[in-house]
Amino acid sequence: MNESDLRSILKCVRCGTCRSVCPVFDVIGWESASSRGRMLVAHGISQGMEVDESVFDSINTCTTCGLCEQMCPSGASPVKVVENVRHKLVLQGKMTDAQKVLRFEALDKGNPLGETKDRMSWLGDSKKDVKEKADYVFFAGCLASYRYPELTKRTFDILKKFEVTVLQEEVCCGSPLLRTGSDSSELMSKNLEQIKKIGAHTIITGCAGCLTTLKNDYPGDVKVVHVAEFLADRLEELDLKKLDLKVTYHDPCHLGRCNGIFDAPRKIIESICDLEEMKSNREKSKCCGAGGGVLKGYPELSLEISKNRVEEIPKDVDYLVTACPLCRTNLKRGGPRVDVLDIIDLLEMAMG
Amino acid sequence: MRKSYLLENLQEIVGTERVSTSAAELYCYSCDASQIRGMPDFVVRPASTEQVSKIVRLAFENEIPVTARGAGTGLAGGAVAVDGGIVLDMSSMDRILEMDLDYLQVIIEPGIVQEKLNDALEPHGLFFPPDPGSSAMCTLGGLIANNGSGMRSVKYGTTRNYVLGLEVVMADGTVINTGSKVLKSVAGYSLTDLFVGSEGTLGIITKATLKVRALPKERSVLLASFDDPELAGKAVVKVLSSGIVPSACEILDRNIIEAINTYDPNIGLPQAGAILMFEVDGTENSVREGIEMIKDVCSSLATSIRAASDKKERDEIWAARRLVGAAVSRLDPLLTRVYVGEDIGVPIKELPGMLHKVREISEEFDLPIMTYGHIGDGNLHTGMCIDVLDDTQWDKLNKAADKIHRTAISIGGTVTAEHGVGSARAEYLGLELGKALDVMILIKKALDPKGILNPGKMGV
Repeated sequence: MNESDLRSILKCVRCGTCRSVCPVFDVIGWESASSRGRMLVAHGISQGMEVDESVFDSINTCTTCGLCEQMCPSGASPVKVVENVRHKLVLQGKMTDAQKVLRFEALDKGNPLGETKDRMSWLGDSKKDVKEKADYVFFAGCLASYRYPELTKRTFDILKKFEVTVLQEEVCCGSPLLRTGSDSSELMSKNLEQIKKIGAHTIITGCAGCLTTLKNDYPGDVKVVHVAEFLADRLEELDLKKLDLKVTYHDPCHLGRCNGIFDAPRKIIESICDLEEMKSNREKSKCCGAGGGVLKGYPELSLEISKNRVEEIPKDVDYLVTACPLCRTNLKRGGPRVDVLDIIDLLEMAMG
Repeated sequence: MRKSYLLENLQEIVGTERVSTSAAELYCYSCDASQIRGMPDFVVRPASTEQVSKIVRLAFENEIPVTARGAGTGLAGGAVAVDGGIVLDMSSMDRILEMDLDYLQVIIEPGIVQEKLNDALEPHGLFFPPDPGSSAMCTLGGLIANNGSGMRSVKYGTTRNYVLGLEVVMADGTVINTGSKVLKSVAGYSLTDLFVGSEGTLGIITKATLKVRALPKERSVLLASFDDPELAGKAVVKVLSSGIVPSACEILDRNIIEAINTYDPNIGLPQAGAILMFEVDGTENSVREGIEMIKDVCSSLATSIRAASDKKERDEIWAARRLVGAAVSRLDPLLTRVYVGEDIGVPIKELPGMLHKVREISEEFDLPIMTYGHIGDGNLHTGMCIDVLDDTQWDKLNKAADKIHRTAISIGGTVTAEHGVGSARAEYLGLELGKALDVMILIKKALDPKGILNPGKMGV
C-alpha cells in the first residue's frame, strides 16, 4: 500500500459520519458496506487479509460517489483508497466477473457495453459537418453513442454551430476501467492522438463519467468542460423561450461533487423554467447508484440506491433533469414518478 | 464443530442473510471508534425482540459472549467483542413503534438513529434533547446503554432523564419490562435506571419508552472570546452561579478554533486563546434576557463577545462544533485524533484548576492537548493527535491520558462523563468508585451469572 493511501486510512477515526450518508450502506446495512468499513478492509488487505468474496463485495460495491469524503470530518479520502485497492487487486489477477467483462469489452470493442456496430452511426446526416480541424471537440462517450444516439446527434447539432467537431474514431474514455481498477492507457492514447490531430484546445462532453476521467486522469493540458458549462456561457445565442414547467435536477456525483460543476446546469434550467431542488442537492447530493462499476457488478443494489434517490424528487415537478447518460439510465430504473430528461432535452424543448 | 453448531442455530433464529462470519464483516465489527479491538466469531443482525431473546438464550446455554452494538460510534470499546463470541448489531431494529404526541412520549426500537427520531418529531414541534456530536449516526440503543448526552446536557440533562421504561432481554433470554408510561412510580427498585448506562453488561435493550419535549420557540448563540481557557473556565463558573441556565455552554481552545475554521472556512471563528459558545433557548423574551445576562457576566473576563447573526450562522457553528472531535485531525496531514483520556468530568468549581492541570500535562509530555467540550456541566474533552505510526508518540499519549484520568479522579471528578467506560477506562473504576465497584460486581453476578453479556467491560 502506498504511503498516501495508508495515511488516508489512518486519518479515519471511525466516527461513522460516512455511515449516515453512504448510499450503499443505506441499502445493505452491514458495516463492510460503509466507507468506514471499506477503509478497515483496505487496511486489512494491506496487513495480509485473505481476499474472499466478502472482501471483494466490500471494495467493489462503492459507487465512488464521494459523499463520504465530502462529509468526512477527519479529511480521509475513501474513494481514492477504494480505487487504488481495486487496482492493486486487479494487478494480482483478483477481480470479479463483472470487472473482467468490463475490461474485456472496453479493450476489445472500444466500449464496455460490448457493442460491435459503428460507434459513430449516431451522427446520421450530420456526418458531413465533422471537421478535420477545430478548437473544440465533442466527446460523446459510450452510453450516449449507443444508448442515446438521437440525443447525442441533437447535442452535436447544437454544438456544431460553435465550431465543434467530433473524434471520428472515438473509443471509451477509460472511466469504467479506471473506476474498477484496470489500466486504461491504451484507450486514453487512442483518444489523445485524435484530439492532438484535430488541434482542439477544449473537449466538451455530456457525460459526467467521461468528464471526470478526461479532466483528471488524462495527461496534458487540454481543457475539459461539460456541455452544460459550454452552453451556459452561450445562452443568448440559443434563442430560448420560457416554458411553463417546474423541474428538479439531479447532480451527477462526478460532475458536481467531484468537479464542482453545480451552477452551469442550474443556470440553463433557470433560464428556461422553474427549478425546485431535490431533498439532497449540490455537494450533498445523493448518488443515483450507477457509478464505480456498481450498475454492472451489483445491478440489484444499484436499483435500490436509485429508488432511494428518486424518492427525493419534489412532489409537484414535471420532470427530473440530469446531465449524465449513466445517471439518467439508472434513475429511470428507479421508477421515478416523472420522466427523466437530459439537460439537452430540456434545452431543445425551449429552443422550439 | 461447536462453531458450525452455533452458526446453524443462529441462522435458524434470524435467517442466513442476517448472520455473518465473513472475513470482511468480522474485521469491520472488530472495533468501534476507540482503540479497543476484539474479533467476534459471529455478527448477527436481529429484527425482533423474539430473535434477540433466542440468540441470548443460545449464548447462555453455550456460554459464549454476546456484545450489543448500535452504530459502533462509541469511544471506549463498549461495542467491541473483546472475548469474541456474538456481536449483535441492533441497527436494523430501527422503528418508531408509537408516538404518543399528546403525552410527549415515544416508544422506539434501539437501532433508530438519534437524528432520525428528531426528524420524525420535528414536524410535531417536539424533540428528544440528548444530542451527542454523533447524533447523525449513533443509535438510541447505544445512547441509552451509555447514558450518553451532549451539548445540551447543561440544561436538559442526560439520556437517563428521558427514559421512562425499557424492554430488556436478560442473560438467560428472559424478556422483562421496566418502568412504565407514568411519569412517577416508586413501585420497586428503579431497574430502568440500572439498565441505562449499563453498557450491555446486564441485559440487551430491545425497546424503550422515552419522554420528549416541546421544541423551544427561540434559540440564540453567543460567542465569548478569552485570552486563555482558564479565564473561560472562570467565566463559566460565574455564569452558572448567577442563575442562568444556558441550553449549551461549550469551550473551544485555540487549536480547536483553528480546526473548525479549517474544516469550514466560512464560519470564521475569532482568533482567541479560548471561546465559550453559549446557546440560550426558550421564548423570545427569555432568550433575549438570557443572552444579555451572559454578556454582562462575561464582560469583565472576555476580550470580545458576539452573537450569531442569524439562524444560518448559528446552525453552521453548531454543525461544525459537532464534528470537531474528528476534525482536529485536519490540522496536520500526519496526525490523527486518538480518542484516549478524552471524556473527563469535574465539579464545576474545579474547572479552571483542571484546565490548568491539562496544560501542565501537555507541557510535561510535550504533547499538544486540545480542549473542548461541555464545560457547562464540567465535561471536558481533551483531544490528542499523534502520528499513529510512531510508537514513541503512542507511549506519550497513553501516559498523558493516564495522568488526565488520575488527576480528574483526585479532584472528585470522573474518568467518563458521557462516552462510557467500556474496556478503555475499566481499569480506573476501582479508583473512582471504591467499594461501590464491589456492589456493581455483585449486581453483575446476580443478573449475568455466566458472564456472557459484554464481558471485559466496566470493570465488572
